[in-house]
Amino acid sequence: MREYKRRFLLVTIIIANAFLILVGRLWYLQIVRGDEFEKFSLDNRVRSIRIPAPRGRILDRRGREIVVNRPSFDIYIIPEDIQNTDTLSSLLSPILGIEPNTIKSKINIALQKSRFKPALLAKDINRDQLAFIEARKSSLPGVLIEVNHIRKYNQGTLGAAFLGYMGRINEDELKLYPDVRVDDVVGKSGIEKGWEVYLHGKDGYIQKLTDAFGREVKWSLFKEDLHRQDSVPGSDVVLSIDLDLQYAAEEALGDRRGAAVAVNVNSGEILALVSHPTFDPSDFIKGIDAAKWKYLLEDKSSPLTNRATQGVYPPGSVFKIVTAAAGLAEGVINSDTYFYCPGRYKFGKKTFKCWKGGGHGSLNLHQAIVESCDVYFYNVAERLGIDRLSRYIKRFGFGTPTGIELNEKVGISPSREWKVKTLKKPWYEGETIVTAIGQGYLSATPLQIAIMTSALANGEKLIKPRVVREVISPDGKTLARYDRQETGNIGIEGTIINIIKDALEGVVNEPNGTGRAARLDGMVVAGKTGTAQVVSNTVSTNQEDYKDHAWFTSYAPAENPEIAVTVLVEHGGKGGAVAAPIVKQILEAYLKLKKEGSV
Amino acid sequence: MFDRRLLKNFDWLFFFIVILICIIGLVNLFSASYQTGLSVFKKQLVWFTLGVVVAACISFFDHRSLERYSHHIYVFSVLLLIAALIFGKEVSGSKSWISLGGHITIQPSELAKIPLILAIAKFYQNDFEGGPYGIRDLIKPIFFISLPLALVLLQPDLGTTLIILLISGSLVIFMGVRFKSLALLLILIIGLSFPTWHYFLKGYQKERIETFLDPSRDPLGSGYNALQSQIAAGSGKFLGKGFKEGSQAQLRFIPEQQTDFIYSVLAEEWGFIGGFFTLLLYFIVILWVLDTASLAKDRFSMVLSLGIASIFFWHTLINIGMVTGLLPVMGVPLPLLSYGGSSLITAMLGVGIVLGIRMRKFPVTKEDIAL
Repeated sequence: MREYKRRFLLVTIIIANAFLILVGRLWYLQIVRGDEFEKFSLDNRVRSIRIPAPRGRILDRRGREIVVNRPSFDIYIIPEDIQNTDTLSSLLSPILGIEPNTIKSKINIALQKSRFKPALLAKDINRDQLAFIEARKSSLPGVLIEVNHIRKYNQGTLGAAFLGYMGRINEDELKLYPDVRVDDVVGKSGIEKGWEVYLHGKDGYIQKLTDAFGREVKWSLFKEDLHRQDSVPGSDVVLSIDLDLQYAAEEALGDRRGAAVAVNVNSGEILALVSHPTFDPSDFIKGIDAAKWKYLLEDKSSPLTNRATQGVYPPGSVFKIVTAAAGLAEGVINSDTYFYCPGRYKFGKKTFKCWKGGGHGSLNLHQAIVESCDVYFYNVAERLGIDRLSRYIKRFGFGTPTGIELNEKVGISPSREWKVKTLKKPWYEGETIVTAIGQGYLSATPLQIAIMTSALANGEKLIKPRVVREVISPDGKTLARYDRQETGNIGIEGTIINIIKDALEGVVNEPNGTGRAARLDGMVVAGKTGTAQVVSNTVSTNQEDYKDHAWFTSYAPAENPEIAVTVLVEHGGKGGAVAAPIVKQILEAYLKLKKEGSV
Repeated sequence: MFDRRLLKNFDWLFFFIVILICIIGLVNLFSASYQTGLSVFKKQLVWFTLGVVVAACISFFDHRSLERYSHHIYVFSVLLLIAALIFGKEVSGSKSWISLGGHITIQPSELAKIPLILAIAKFYQNDFEGGPYGIRDLIKPIFFISLPLALVLLQPDLGTTLIILLISGSLVIFMGVRFKSLALLLILIIGLSFPTWHYFLKGYQKERIETFLDPSRDPLGSGYNALQSQIAAGSGKFLGKGFKEGSQAQLRFIPEQQTDFIYSVLAEEWGFIGGFFTLLLYFIVILWVLDTASLAKDRFSMVLSLGIASIFFWHTLINIGMVTGLLPVMGVPLPLLSYGGSSLITAMLGVGIVLGIRMRKFPVTKEDIAL
């Protein structure tokens, strides 16, 4: 067929070119992009399964468990392996108590993300649910039970205010902790947040060989590709808190709204830290429900606030300690200076009342502290003036953070400069008078008052309060130890300190002392009451929200102080009647522990 | 009846190359199926044996008798296609299979390719006017092509429809068509596709066509298959992962890995070396068949060989193009390598016919006469 010769040549050329294209494509896939596809084929068949690391425990100073972990049985779905979405949804719905449509939409969302990646369906299912699903596992393809570690609060709500709660990691936190998985939980407040890097363990993984259907393949083939990495548990945080004392302090405060702080006056270690009302950290384990979260955020009682470190209150008469120290140190008064209290004090056009309407008559500093005479300190303040007084306010730690490694507020340490700077108004001398008895602009947290009290008790030093003693790794190594640290010196002569200390002992132990309710057998207690006005005296104090805050701050034993205890009851009324008995109860517990040799 | 000169002219080398491809196919199929009990491999071994016998027998059969019965054979193949539509077993949405009882199923659309070529070859043998042909001259072959085309489209099997169009179309174009008529034919095909779309195709058939034209409509289906196939081939790199060592194949990431995607198993386990060598063998076979066509003594043999070359070429190009991600995924098997009796027998029939034509292409030599 000679006439077709040219056509055959043409066809041959076309075919040769087509094969060249195929060879070229093969070269491109296997040689040019071979390494890339090799990696893909490895990713295809190797599936990493997380081995969750347990979080570190939180222990009290004697190693007793406060926050630990428990297993949580979580239900995951692998979209790839699900045979019938409808059947699975209607089967799981009654057991898990989730609407079938909700399950379906979760499956669909997971399907869009990845066919092979397990997606969480239900967290922490109970024993009955677990038994049901475990028994039907073979007829539930695509359903996976994974064991994770979640928080267990051995002591319930005890210490919740400073222990903190857990929550799903957010974007900002992801930048902070790049090793944490996107769907993992981290500490959101308190110790859990502050010591997150220590508490958080390192997840391990185990690689499994899977076929195209996501089934694990148990061949020896390709096994050399598989790795395993064990998880590293988080480290334990050992608190300075004593579980027994914490428990006693919480019981002593009871249902009252307020705070209690017990701190070692020499080391700064906090032995108990109470804020009430509080929250239940176990509510956060499965993810808190919206209604509860709204309540915690918006309720007037602000349960999420740690009142001991974040609650800012006028210190009231507790502050007379500072005024007295300033007066003595500046030579405005001495221990023999007498003032007469007629029950009120005139300054300019204004009249300032003493809490005792009938007046205290003539008294010296010791008596003025013991009976908490306001007029005596009005006199001291007028003679001191705000500029000298404000120096001592600062020295006792007001207006500066205590340095505790928890969220804290600082309150206000008023001065002439402060007022001009923040309120853009000049200082009125009348304001010096109310500052002397802890009213006016002055404010502080219960912790600040406790540290102030400690400084007086130890004679000179402002000490940084500590809640954590050390961090111990799972293999017993100490990773961090928090040592005593001084943040300031009150700089008051020992003789002056002793005059004030003497008076504080009198407050509790003398017949007319305002703090007699804190008197204890077996240990001499020294302290100072405070009844802080919330608003000016003219408003009726019957209304609950305007009732005075009750303060009592103390240290013991008076002769050789070890512990300072400060209690505040919001709108509680008189410090001596309301706060002092609470302090007594806490110190009683301390004394008992001391006798046992536990502290 | 039996002419000993034929045996002397038997093209052993060509036959050997074809057998070599078959053996590569069997080795490859062994690897692709030994995880699932080798039943597929064993069946293919039976088909292979049968195929060799068929090729050998056909080669000794004078193609002039094929010419005589080509219309009968064509009608029989069309009847099989109709039977597939009526009694057919639906597999993944297409009624392409007829069960012959037991485990044997045949695919009439595969088996219809040779009969169609026979019918076309017979047309050119009898109705030769020297071309190029006008559309009126081509009414007969157009009818021959349209009938199986429509029946396969109704199954629906888009891949096979397209391949039948390409195989027969390239024959018609090779033999010469007037430019005007060619344009008219193209317009006709496009014009016909609209009423077919609106009146003859059912919803699911349309859906399959739409997915075929736009694979991204079904990303977890054909898109996933195409990707896994490329991963398999690509990860084989230069030397391959080794026999039975291809993870994509052994862990079943390659879809349809015993049939349409068999070449990606080969490329994964034998690498560029194996993939290239196999392609080379196909190229040689196709050129060999083309050479047969150019040497043929009569027009019937020429068109017939050309058709067989066309079958091999289009199947190889489309299958490997699809497996390597150059072309969309469509169900087109790779001759001699893909598992499947109908496809293998069709290919071996073609090989047998070519062998037969080669044996008879040479003038009788003196030596032969001496025998």
